[in-house]
Amino acid sequence: MKKDILYKTVLIALTFMVGSCADLDENPIGVLSPESFFNTENDVKGAVMGIYSNMACEEYFGRKYTCAVALLGDACDISDIGTSSRRIVLNNLDPDTSNGMISEFWPRIYKTIGAANSAIDGAESITVSDTEGVNQLKAEAMIIRAYCYYNLVRLFGGVPYIGETVSNVSSISDIPRTSEDEIYKYIIADCEYAEKTLPDKYADDIRCRPTAGSAKTMLASVYLTLGEYDKAEKYAEEVINNADKYGYSLVNDFTELWKADNGDMSEHIWTVDFQAGTSDDLWGPLTGVRGSDMNGWDAFAPSPGLYDLYSPGDYRKEATFVLETPVNGVMTPYTEWTWPRIHFGKYSLYPGAKANSDGRRSGRNYPIFRFAEVFLIAAEASTEVNGEPTDKSYEYINKIRERARFGGTEPADIAPGTMTKDEFIAAVLKERLLEFPIEYKRWFDIKRRDLGKEVFEGPNSIEPHTFNESRHYLLPLPQDELDRNHSLTQNPGY
Amino acid sequence: MKKKLKREDKESFFSGPPKIYRIMKLVCLFLIVSMIQVSAATYGQNSKLSLSGQNITIEQLLSRIEDQSDFSFFYNLKEVDLSKKINLNVENKNIEEILNSVLKGTDLTYTINDRLIIIHKETSEKNLITNIQERKITGKVTDQSGYPLPGVTIVIKGTNAGTITDSEGNYSLSKIPGNTVLVFSFVGMKSQEISITGQNAINIVMKEESIGLNEVIAVGYGTMKKSDLTGSVSSVSSKKLVAFPSLNVTQALQGRASGVQITTKNGEPGASSRVRVRGGTSLNAGSDPLYVVDGFAGGAVPPSGDIASIEILKDASATAIYGSRGANGVILITTKTGKRNNGDKININFNSSYSVNQVAKKLDMLNGTQFAEFINDIYTNEGKPVHYENPESYGEGTDWQNIIFRNGAIQNHELSASGGSDKINFYVSMNYYDDKGIVINSNYKRYSGFSNIDFKVGKNIKAGFRMFYNRSYQNGVKSQESCGGVNSTGVISGALIMEPTVGIYNEDGSYTLSTIGNVNDNPYAIATENTIESVYDQFQGNTFIDWTIIKDLVFKTTFGIENNNNRYGTYYPMTVNYGANVDGLSSIQGIKRTTFLTENYLSYSKKINDQHKFNLLAGCSYQKYRNEDWTANTNGYLTDSFLYWNLDGGADYMEDYSSLAEWEMLSYYGRFNYNYKDKYLVTFTGRYDGSSRLGKNNKWAFFPSGAFAWNIKQEPFLQTVDDISHLKLRLSYGETGNTDIGIYQSLANFSAVASIINEQTVNGVVPSSIANSDLSWETTKQTDIGFDIGLFNERILFTVDGYYMKTEDLLYYVPLPEYSGYSTSLQNIGSLENKGLEFGLNTVNIKNKNIGWTTDLNISFNRNKVTSLKGGDKIYSRKPGHLIGDNTNILREGSPAGTFYGYIYDGVNKEDGSPIYRDIAGRDTDGNLVMEPDGNVNSDDRTIIGNPHPDFIFGITNDIRYKNFDLDIFLQGVVGNDMYNFSRMELEWDSGITNQMASVLNRWTPTNTDTDMPKASSSYSLISSTRWIEKGTYIRFKNISLGYNFPKKFLGKTGIEKLRLYVSGQNLYTITNYKGYNPDVSYNDGNYSLGLDYGSYPNARSYTVGVNINF
Repeated sequence: MKKDILYKTVLIALTFMVGSCADLDENPIGVLSPESFFNTENDVKGAVMGIYSNMACEEYFGRKYTCAVALLGDACDISDIGTSSRRIVLNNLDPDTSNGMISEFWPRIYKTIGAANSAIDGAESITVSDTEGVNQLKAEAMIIRAYCYYNLVRLFGGVPYIGETVSNVSSISDIPRTSEDEIYKYIIADCEYAEKTLPDKYADDIRCRPTAGSAKTMLASVYLTLGEYDKAEKYAEEVINNADKYGYSLVNDFTELWKADNGDMSEHIWTVDFQAGTSDDLWGPLTGVRGSDMNGWDAFAPSPGLYDLYSPGDYRKEATFVLETPVNGVMTPYTEWTWPRIHFGKYSLYPGAKANSDGRRSGRNYPIFRFAEVFLIAAEASTEVNGEPTDKSYEYINKIRERARFGGTEPADIAPGTMTKDEFIAAVLKERLLEFPIEYKRWFDIKRRDLGKEVFEGPNSIEPHTFNESRHYLLPLPQDELDRNHSLTQNPGY
Repeated sequence: MKKKLKREDKESFFSGPPKIYRIMKLVCLFLIVSMIQVSAATYGQNSKLSLSGQNITIEQLLSRIEDQSDFSFFYNLKEVDLSKKINLNVENKNIEEILNSVLKGTDLTYTINDRLIIIHKETSEKNLITNIQERKITGKVTDQSGYPLPGVTIVIKGTNAGTITDSEGNYSLSKIPGNTVLVFSFVGMKSQEISITGQNAINIVMKEESIGLNEVIAVGYGTMKKSDLTGSVSSVSSKKLVAFPSLNVTQALQGRASGVQITTKNGEPGASSRVRVRGGTSLNAGSDPLYVVDGFAGGAVPPSGDIASIEILKDASATAIYGSRGANGVILITTKTGKRNNGDKININFNSSYSVNQVAKKLDMLNGTQFAEFINDIYTNEGKPVHYENPESYGEGTDWQNIIFRNGAIQNHELSASGGSDKINFYVSMNYYDDKGIVINSNYKRYSGFSNIDFKVGKNIKAGFRMFYNRSYQNGVKSQESCGGVNSTGVISGALIMEPTVGIYNEDGSYTLSTIGNVNDNPYAIATENTIESVYDQFQGNTFIDWTIIKDLVFKTTFGIENNNNRYGTYYPMTVNYGANVDGLSSIQGIKRTTFLTENYLSYSKKINDQHKFNLLAGCSYQKYRNEDWTANTNGYLTDSFLYWNLDGGADYMEDYSSLAEWEMLSYYGRFNYNYKDKYLVTFTGRYDGSSRLGKNNKWAFFPSGAFAWNIKQEPFLQTVDDISHLKLRLSYGETGNTDIGIYQSLANFSAVASIINEQTVNGVVPSSIANSDLSWETTKQTDIGFDIGLFNERILFTVDGYYMKTEDLLYYVPLPEYSGYSTSLQNIGSLENKGLEFGLNTVNIKNKNIGWTTDLNISFNRNKVTSLKGGDKIYSRKPGHLIGDNTNILREGSPAGTFYGYIYDGVNKEDGSPIYRDIAGRDTDGNLVMEPDGNVNSDDRTIIGNPHPDFIFGITNDIRYKNFDLDIFLQGVVGNDMYNFSRMELEWDSGITNQMASVLNRWTPTNTDTDMPKASSSYSLISSTRWIEKGTYIRFKNISLGYNFPKKFLGKTGIEKLRLYVSGQNLYTITNYKGYNPDVSYNDGNYSLGLDYGSYPNARSYTVGVNINF
């Protein structure tokens, strides 16, 4: 009997011990912990590479950010007014505080910044940290961070500046906006470090990773925006004078620049690399012709007067616009399309072999800076520095016009000595409009030169609507951010 | 049970005031006796016993025999003297040999009935069939529907004499004493006592015991008499679950139990439902109740037809035994088991039904001409030339709803067999369910099998296993899409937004595309061309062993595995725009989930001198869950013929994906029940849970509960009040927890990403989540007070419960400032409460031979409120992705979870047709918000604009029987909730992006200024406002069925014992002002995402014919 009880006890005890094998530890597979991640230069490289996934995506260069900036300018108009109202109101410069484009690209830009901060802090934290390789990677992350803030500060004015890895949200949940001046200081500091540290070139001459040349170009652009023309001129000329070192030259045939399959070209200073068939970019369908064989969506079209601003022989029109396209295999002029107006061709004509049939996922590398812009920065800055256009100023702008002629006669060179300062500046700005109509730059030109009244309300406006200088130069901060952080203030007028 | 039959009663078995429990014991005894009579009595001959003892009484000896064997002895000590001392030493003798030798020399003898042995005086066996007057009573026993009941036990009260009914329900008792009482009893039926005065024929109608208090119900690791409950438990009988064809138990439960709110996700065949017991206790952690199927927590639930009963445990006293998984209530499911009926007869049931389904409501949309005029209006308002030159030419245009809707059908066929012997019981069934949806190309099929086998091993071990397997196919169409737009539009929203000015096909035979707004495929193409298939295999096996170690001490061990395999495949062919863009897009996903569970527990029950009853339970469980998931996608095909079965045939490989998630849980639990004279009942429960999902320092937590119940009816002052047949007060308090969160939530994460450098993919990492080292348990503290009242011999049963639940350390994915670089972080942010009242009322309105009418009513009130919220308001959007714009919802201290947020819409400016939003707030000079208009409508003027929580929910069932007809009318409703109608937001947008509802015909125009519909314009943002909020109140005739039971004489010798034919209708009529298809939808499943509707597959109206056959 006692034995029996013993057996029973042992048996039950054993079954109750079933759970004691469980330790309840989590052994995650496929998840990386930041605390233990950074050990070698290669880890830092992984973190830097990761940043790019936040740029080559729909919310940033694939659609939301780039389209928003293009729509704000006067070159890009709405085609089908049945397109989303979030686009229509941006085109009218009348977004509300919860505009669906702003609310998407704002977080993405900050995610890019967060990834950059993490890479920068990672580079500083590894044991063997101060090597050339690690510093180059750190500089790469720094200039990306600077570029992101450059976009934000131009669109919104002062924004919260986050310059390090956020490990405790409560430390930043109540911070106010950082002033524009301060943000520009950080931008310049990052760019200067990058300019000193980054290599001149990468293997395979890729352009999606920034080089010392990219840093100089960006500094030129930043100083141009700030009106510090001497520095803008200095950096632009350093780029021009070292073009061989960096591998920069203007591409002879402007059309080649817009063929998605060409990838990076010598004219590209810094691009955002999209992979055909996988990365999501939508400029092709958004600007493509609806109901035609290119299967576009007809969301955006050139402002009605844009086409006529070009000289008749300007070769850039070939790639910039589309006036006829096959519908059911039959070449059809724009006057017979569903929305009978000239369309943009820059992104819709050459989507690449692996793109979707509507031009989505084209694999196009979207330029952040092209060498052409450096000439135009130099032309404008040198004119400002000298109080009038110099010979070099004319030389720089004519480089662009020469390429635009593509062996023809128009647009002709501007003869040196024929223009006043104001005329020349106006000519540069027009050249920038014609060169970059939907390269998300025109709005920043309008803003830095305070052209709003003129281009939207002036007699020669190609996209007429009212313009209110006290409100329209800044976009509203996303309402979500104001709801989450009551220390943030909204821009005037919203 | 058997052991309790004798000694406690020996002093007063035949004398003293009759007490109910004694009667019950008699009933039990005679149940056993009656079963013995119909089976071969073989046990006695076969068991061999070895016994030895010196100088022991006969009574002691009998007790030893009981301990060694399955025999029970039955005797009356007043009549027999067992105090004689004997010496005994036998080896391997059978019982008769032993008894013969023991009783030799006494005046006693015995009668063996299988395992029951009655000891009596040699001369007085006839006393059992007892004293005396030569009187005979005959009669017939039937159930409520008039069917004869074989095997009913009839006992002369105060004796153990009696008989059972024959196969026709007839009985005959002779030698009945003068003034006596007959007790009729039958398993599952209420016992009845009939006083015999002078009659010779007594016919009895037995009533089912489903609402009786002696009913034994499952309570989690055990069973309990309903009258002994201290917790709040709702029971739903199997009859209610099969009242109409339903996909699963949750569908069938809607409106049936108080405190349980069930919302259908949508009407798609195979769609799931959302179940909330006493409101949502959480925000982000899971809020589904825990399903426990035959003791298997998280087990697969078989089809409704295989379920014997459902208990819904609601308060902490009932759920705390499930500890950290009990916060959302527990649904205990007991499946059908075989039972011995009428000898070795196997009971065969066949149930079959066929339903025709149709869409209950269509939305009134613009026709071709109206649409063209509407678009032109926008162009005119923009100062542009009109887009459609000749609107009249479009006429009615295409009615896309007519094109995608069709008549659907549901077939449900079940075949089951059950039976048993004294060693083994079984129940096996097969089920086929087929739902052809009301939208073209959508259907669902399920084949399932279930078996339940219990058997006895030796004298004190019971064992058994349950097996359930199921294969289902869902051929789906996209609806309720979380983000519409190009390529993503679903069929329902597609049919509403597609312009009526185009047809299905272009002239060349290709499908048309939307010509305005987004370039969508037309809904017919979406429905018919795209392949969206899932195949779901499920297998569950569960074994238990029940071992009575020593008297009153039972050890139970269970072991089960549930395995789900799901394959989901999609193909978008080149015939639709989406597929054409990429030359066909295919995707295949596999998911494999395994749950392993073992439970081991000991239970001990003891009764001390009939006044104190104890129950002790202690156990442990271990559970492990593993989820494997993998997906591959390819596009770039030459032909559409591969679907998703030849991924290597596509030219362009796309993203692959795979993941593994595991968690495990270890628990120790205990329960103590104490019952004093059935008057005072006390329960204490505790569970100590460890979960791998929580942070290192918070893995373990303890969840206690305590409850007290007072059976007031047992008090002397109420015992004489005959009208009150039952009165009980229940009080409980307890804590339960919730760990239903994703894995690795407390850790900071880097995610691996693929970046593109030089067209090549390179590996990169990005920060993806931020660490929260403080992450801890979510705990719900619940207090419950309940009353159960039975009146007029249980003709009226009334239950009321009041509860207060507070959930602390609420888990929430807090939206972070976007400039942090992160989106959300799981944090413990505050607390919320649910408080409510629940009423259940069951009445027997009419009860006689020909007519029966019962009514079940339940009504539940729940109030939900966020009581504290770290960091203040949490504002968020639950709109479909493509309707991006401002936020729609808010969490705010003092308000219910998931309230709608936005502007107050004040109609239209009569001058220019623009919408007006009310100015309600502004800022003072310091920038502080003041609730006074400031002449400027901006984000400060947003406020709470709707509450998705209902004031109350209810269900009413009326069961009416007239002779062989039965009529069941089931109404169910939800009252007082607000709905956010995102579909209407898109369809009254008044913008030129999609087709619109016909209500926009009343839009503002210079000639129609007295309206609240703004003028048509392309530049409206989707402002969240009261304009889109509607009342979701509805009352619905959920089921009406009329059945006819064929009389026995009609069935004759067909072998059919029962034949019932019925017709029924589901959702025949819904009373509601809701402007969408149906307010009973759930667009998004979160607890702070209630009352949302977008693109929902409409619920169907069904007409059903069916048959129940019993062989």
